[in-house]
Amino acid sequence: MPQFLKEFFNRNGTGMGLAILGLVLFWTIGLIILPQLSMLDFSFRPNLPPPEIGGPKDVYTLENYKYLIYGPEGGSQDYNTVDLRVFFRTLVAAVCVTIFNLIICYPIAYYLGQSEGSHIRIFAIMLIIPYWINEILRAFALRIIFGETGVLNTLFLGLGVWDTPFDFIRNDIALYAGLGYAYILLMIFPMYNVIESLDKNQIEAARDLGAPWWRIHWRVVIPYAKPGISSGCTMVFMLSAGALAAPQILGGPSSLWFTQLIYQQFNDNNDWPQGAAYAIVLLVTCILFVLAVMRLFKVNMGDIGK
Amino acid sequence: MNNSFLRISIWVYLAIFFLYLLGPLVIMSITAFNSSGFPRMSPWECLTFQWFGELFQDQRILNGIKNSLIIGLGTVVLSVAMGLAGALMLTQIWPKLRATYYTIIIAPILIPGVVLGISTLVFWDRINRMLGLGADSFLSNGIFLTVIGQSTFIASYCMLVLVARLQRYDVALTEAALDLGASHAQAFRKILLPFMRPAIASAAVLAFLASFENYNTTTFTFGEYPTLTIELAQKVRYGITPAISALAFIIVALTVFFALMNEAKLKRQELVAVARKNATVEELAGKIKLPSFFAGNMAAVLLVVFAVATITVVGTAATYNPGQCIADIREQKQLEAEQRIQELRKQREERRKQREAEEAEQGGAQTAPKPSNNSGFGNVFAPNSLDGSETEGEDGVSEPESAPSNNSGFGGVFDPNSLQGDE
Amino acid sequence: MSAGVGVDLENLWIRFGDFVAVRDANVKINGGDFFSFLGPSGCGKTTILRAVSGFLEPSEGNVLIGGNNMRGIGPNKRPTALIFQNLALFPLMKVWENITFSMEIKGASSAERRKRADELLDMIALPDQGDKLPNELSGGQRQRVAIARALCAEPDVLLLDEPLSALDLKLRQHMRTELREIQKRVGITFIYITHDQGEALTMSDNIAVMRAGVIDQIADGKTIYNDPNTAFAASFVGENNVFRGKVKQIMGNEALIATNRSGDLVARISTTNQGKMKEGDDAMMFVRPEAFAIAPDGASGDHFVTARVNHEEFEGNAFNIFTEGEGGKEIKVSIPNHGQSFDDHTGQNITLEYETHNAVIVPAGELAAE
Repeated sequence: MPQFLKEFFNRNGTGMGLAILGLVLFWTIGLIILPQLSMLDFSFRPNLPPPEIGGPKDVYTLENYKYLIYGPEGGSQDYNTVDLRVFFRTLVAAVCVTIFNLIICYPIAYYLGQSEGSHIRIFAIMLIIPYWINEILRAFALRIIFGETGVLNTLFLGLGVWDTPFDFIRNDIALYAGLGYAYILLMIFPMYNVIESLDKNQIEAARDLGAPWWRIHWRVVIPYAKPGISSGCTMVFMLSAGALAAPQILGGPSSLWFTQLIYQQFNDNNDWPQGAAYAIVLLVTCILFVLAVMRLFKVNMGDIGK
Repeated sequence: MNNSFLRISIWVYLAIFFLYLLGPLVIMSITAFNSSGFPRMSPWECLTFQWFGELFQDQRILNGIKNSLIIGLGTVVLSVAMGLAGALMLTQIWPKLRATYYTIIIAPILIPGVVLGISTLVFWDRINRMLGLGADSFLSNGIFLTVIGQSTFIASYCMLVLVARLQRYDVALTEAALDLGASHAQAFRKILLPFMRPAIASAAVLAFLASFENYNTTTFTFGEYPTLTIELAQKVRYGITPAISALAFIIVALTVFFALMNEAKLKRQELVAVARKNATVEELAGKIKLPSFFAGNMAAVLLVVFAVATITVVGTAATYNPGQCIADIREQKQLEAEQRIQELRKQREERRKQREAEEAEQGGAQTAPKPSNNSGFGNVFAPNSLDGSETEGEDGVSEPESAPSNNSGFGGVFDPNSLQGDE
Repeated sequence: MSAGVGVDLENLWIRFGDFVAVRDANVKINGGDFFSFLGPSGCGKTTILRAVSGFLEPSEGNVLIGGNNMRGIGPNKRPTALIFQNLALFPLMKVWENITFSMEIKGASSAERRKRADELLDMIALPDQGDKLPNELSGGQRQRVAIARALCAEPDVLLLDEPLSALDLKLRQHMRTELREIQKRVGITFIYITHDQGEALTMSDNIAVMRAGVIDQIADGKTIYNDPNTAFAASFVGENNVFRGKVKQIMGNEALIATNRSGDLVARISTTNQGKMKEGDDAMMFVRPEAFAIAPDGASGDHFVTARVNHEEFEGNAFNIFTEGEGGKEIKVSIPNHGQSFDDHTGQNITLEYETHNAVIVPAGELAAE
């Protein structure tokens, strides 16, 4: 038995040690690693009816990935423009949502992190409450607001800002607002945690030296809060790129989200390998993108989730 | 002057921010009380509680709640257990493995829920086949798959909550217990677990809420056990009614209630701790003088106000009858609709006259009227004639699809399908 | 309880990877003794304690308690109780629940436990404090609760890991006496870990001086103070003036040392090194500050040292004179205060003398860090 395991069982006792080890292995291997590998494997297989699985036709193939790029065989177009466009639009929109969230959340995180008093607790509760409400209901709430006869249109029509109802949904404004809304907390909390630990004297010192407020943020607060910012951005980006509920409810008919394509492959076309391949493409692209951006801004992986 | 300007702009910003955050929830809650068949604030028709009644008669919603509770319970147990084990492992793992291990257990938070759902489904389907089990086996059961799929990432959240507290745990406490004769299991149960209890409670609440609201993962795994969220999504995607607002209102109210209760409890614990510190030995022995429940406890006061308000609302709902108001509104609408129909008819008449005149000019080439137009009202209510768009369902004539007594002579034109253009 | 249960360490080695924390320790602790391990932090004394209490399995060698080999027996099955450096009182349990935790494990009823807790609380002079939480007590009170909790388990051996280090000086001195009294009353073996030589000397029947995983000397306090084995023991326990040099001549139990800067001096060879040193060996001679006396001017010989007084201080019970010998060698002298008149010597040259049996010679070796 390796030294590590021996010490582990010494510290925890045999029974407790086995329970801890068993649960951790079940989680990491049974729930995290093997399913992902299984999905990867699946994405390289043809879509076969159950009796033929494991039969002679069950061979590895790149078919599912080719489909995303070239579309169906003998299709009219050279490339699968529809799916590819959805894919890139999803990534770009997720980046936009992330930036939008970062901009609106940074002042709040800074304010909460650097102020004192009992009202901060109330703000914190007010921040958390929407997050406790069902994701679908949050999207639903925005649909009520952005609908053609929704609150905003009623308000602006009443004020005479515009005279025909503005279609927020078709113009994707509802979708972006909804995605931003859904992940505000995930952006604020990592930033708040870091900014809270920033010594107020540092800011005071910078102010004493005559630095204008934007320079204080640029040179002192933002560099310090970088781990929190990157943590929040990573989470918001990954989650909005992988969002399904908000696009389904708030998205216009012409603005598919890539996850919706995956959903369609699974539930409507019943083509699991194809869906798995799309899921792999989404996962790998997002991870590579995040890693690239993190390298660009010189952030460590270990800072995520703190 | 700069300072006060900055302060004002901060407060304005905060106000806008929280309006964005809380406004939608407030508006959604209010729409639950409007008798309008489409959830909206304006025009305000009648105060009604009928949507709540409708909600509680919806078998699918009730069934969804039941499934959500079962799955939530399973997820809480599994993910808190795995999260705790994962956190304990993290604090004592071999340093060289630590970074890799941390990446693995934190990854599910970042993996899109859709991907988790698919991988869970694919993996357990394969296991199921390898074991030679049928499609109705335990491993392909919707509840099992959903609990497994959700726990994959919810356990990571639990782990983060638990490890934060675990880092403040003094391992010497466990050693002291062992040294005094406790077994490892006893030391865990009597020392570590009580210490972790607040974090375990937080993790359990978090896990339950995350499970309850999860859509992305569940939508692939639920099988024959749709959760409340799945049912809601179906409803919201294919036409929305204020019954959903009613449900949202209940959830918002419960959330606020529990948040206030938790806050009041925390505050009280603080006050008790202070009281204990000031208490004399005799008081500690039995009859410690505690501050009254409300003293200095804002949250407790709010809690009571909130509870009283709820009771009042429920009381009103039991006796209040908006029938007259609704009837008035309906009559008014009927009048409006008829008026509109008259106008349309007039227009059509004029158009026809015009056309006839034109046709007469052209020499009467085609005089046969279009077929299949034998309803009294012509094309007016066909889907496309009301400047059709996909979201039209929200917008047509504002009579609820589910309105009970819909025999107002408009016939089948109000069949929901004729107004729904969803995807 | 008559003799109590003894503890033996036999050829004990403890390694962490490549690092050797304890090197071949052999210790025999008599039943009923108050035994201290004394050494600077990081010397391996806590490691030994953890091996005795069962949290660590020795890499080699054995721990025997009452003659029984403890290998493979967990901490919860050993007849020991440990008082942790930070006390490790259970923060969520009331004082009486803390004290009787070992009874709870055995399934004793609440009433029984309460009764026993009251007895122990009386013993540690904290009556009626049972319903408080540990963090509502003062440092000294917590200390006593930790002792009561350990005693409640009725151990054969009580292990104490620097339990007084968190207390302020006054309380620390008070607790020394109290601990010693408790030990005498309960009559069980106490094994005490400390880096504070004052604690070790005042309380212990026997002391083991440790340095970097090695036990230098095991003896009672007086022996260690007056007759140290090694340069480390001499320099770590109490204050000492060191003179380095080479053995010039062996004269029975005494030797003449050619010191580097203070000429030839005579002193007694420490007991365990007698017969082992030979001429030409590197040696160190130690003279305690209080072993010096001021000699008449002009006196000279092999137990006289001349020095120039740098400064002086009055400490109440003694006058401390800080002098500088030839070649810049610092020598501290401490003259007990008998109420005699005391002249100011600052800047003067004085001659110091000592009696040869009060100075001790050991082979040259590592000194304790200042």
